Amino acid sequence: MLSLDFLAGFTIFMLALIMVVSMVPGLLAGLQSSGIDYDAVAYRTGVILVEDPGWPAYPQFEQPWELVDKDKIQRMGLAVSKDTPNVLLSTKVERFFQNSTKENPFFTPEDYRKFVIFGDIPYSYNFSLNISHPDGTYGLKQAGDPLPPGYGYIRRVVKIKEPGVAVIVGNTTSPSESPYWTSSPTMPTQNFTVRLNFSQLLNQSINTAYRIDPRTEPVNVTITNFEAYLNDTSGATLKSVTFRKWDPTRPGIGPAPIPFSYGKDDTDYYTLCIDGKPEFYSPEPNAQVSSNISLVLKPAATSLFPLDQNSILDIKFNFDHDPPETNITGTHLYDYVNVTRTDLKTAVLEVAIW
Amino acid sequence: MVNNAGQLYTMEGVAAGLIMLLTAYIVVSTTSIYTTGDTHIPDMQLEQLGSDVLAMMDTPDIDGGTSELVGFVKKGTGIGGGNDLQDEFLANCKMRSGDPDDNLRAQVYLSYRTLGGSVNTTLLSSPDPWFTGRENTVRVTRWVQLSQQPGDMPGDMRTDPQAVLVEVLLWRA
Repeated sequence: MLSLDFLAGFTIFMLALIMVVSMVPGLLAGLQSSGIDYDAVAYRTGVILVEDPGWPAYPQFEQPWELVDKDKIQRMGLAVSKDTPNVLLSTKVERFFQNSTKENPFFTPEDYRKFVIFGDIPYSYNFSLNISHPDGTYGLKQAGDPLPPGYGYIRRVVKIKEPGVAVIVGNTTSPSESPYWTSSPTMPTQNFTVRLNFSQLLNQSINTAYRIDPRTEPVNVTITNFEAYLNDTSGATLKSVTFRKWDPTRPGIGPAPIPFSYGKDDTDYYTLCIDGKPEFYSPEPNAQVSSNISLVLKPAATSLFPLDQNSILDIKFNFDHDPPETNITGTHLYDYVNVTRTDLKTAVLEVAIW
Repeated sequence: MVNNAGQLYTMEGVAAGLIMLLTAYIVVSTTSIYTTGDTHIPDMQLEQLGSDVLAMMDTPDIDGGTSELVGFVKKGTGIGGGNDLQDEFLANCKMRSGDPDDNLRAQVYLSYRTLGGSVNTTLLSSPDPWFTGRENTVRVTRWVQLSQQPGDMPGDMRTDPQAVLVEVLLWRA
């Protein structure tokens, strides 16, 4: 038979035990830090963005993630290549932040979570990239929500690689001294070609941070002071600009045109500007040129071809008039000598996660 | 045989136990313990930042060019040397999208092998007047290949091509 003492003591003991057990989680709660997880996710996201080129990537796939449809993207990284951590490719950066502060951003919050933040929890985020320009100004790109208190954070200092540009400058004071000027232009068509020889461009001895790779970066060709090439006329008719790829190691196969519509302007693939006018022209402009031509062939267009280190891509400017309206002729090599490469720009990438 | 004294002793013991438990709970829950798991995070962030800045300063802006870091180290402690390295390093560290992160401070050291074969470490930048030695600093390093002895360096430094170690102490004031 139980004594009254034992019953009272045991009851009080049990009550105390229940109280203590219920206090234990509260005791441990004081030791855990809510910031740890966010900092770790921010660090991981920063590493993916800064040290990884993303997936799909060159050369394993024909098109890197910034050129493929969203449903084919596995991971968004901004590095030029896995061998060049902290050196970011401007085309990847542009895609990553495309319209990010506008009403219709290219990537939705769900895309950012799926392709770069990862994790089961739907984290909120803020990415910002502040690029320092040589003139002392800064260019800020941002994506995400305003920062609340208590977010995880990482800051990475990076360099941005931007595409080079080939500029052909006519000599207006002494036209005959202009490059690619001829006193006897061909009839009835006059052609000027810009040649991209991939065996030179993809030279493995050149670090990927400085390499000209038209498969991932735009090709910029600008002809200025075109007045120097005019044959006693006020302008020359640019009939067409054609893009042809061929492979000198396979002599039986002739040049093939890039398979996109030549009939309309498509700024995703190329932009053609004439005389600094604001509108874009199609590659068959049939327009008068009097002062300059600016062509940007974007990676989305060049990646339509399987281009390798044996390929040659010719960009042909075709002027068609009889008698000839222009004295420009010849082939300009788009290579490490003729292309003005842009210096790497310092920037800071900040990732905040909460 | 049950008596009142025994009951009182039991209840007194239980009450004392409860009071002790309650006291222990209050003490533990009101004391903030800064665990080692937390301290490494700001250190890691600062170390990553410093490491990035040194790596980027050691990346030439043009193909085949000389990196900023090598340019500074070549000048030693002279004009365009250690102090400018310190300023440029801090300018890069402080850069962010909003206001600059102004409370960062740094000191630059250079380790090299002497003529006698031992390793010597010298201050490359001017000493920071606020540095007490008790700051929670992080240390970031970068090897630099030199073709000649930097300017204004101690006489015991070798003159032939050599690798030297640039060390930066970075802390939050």
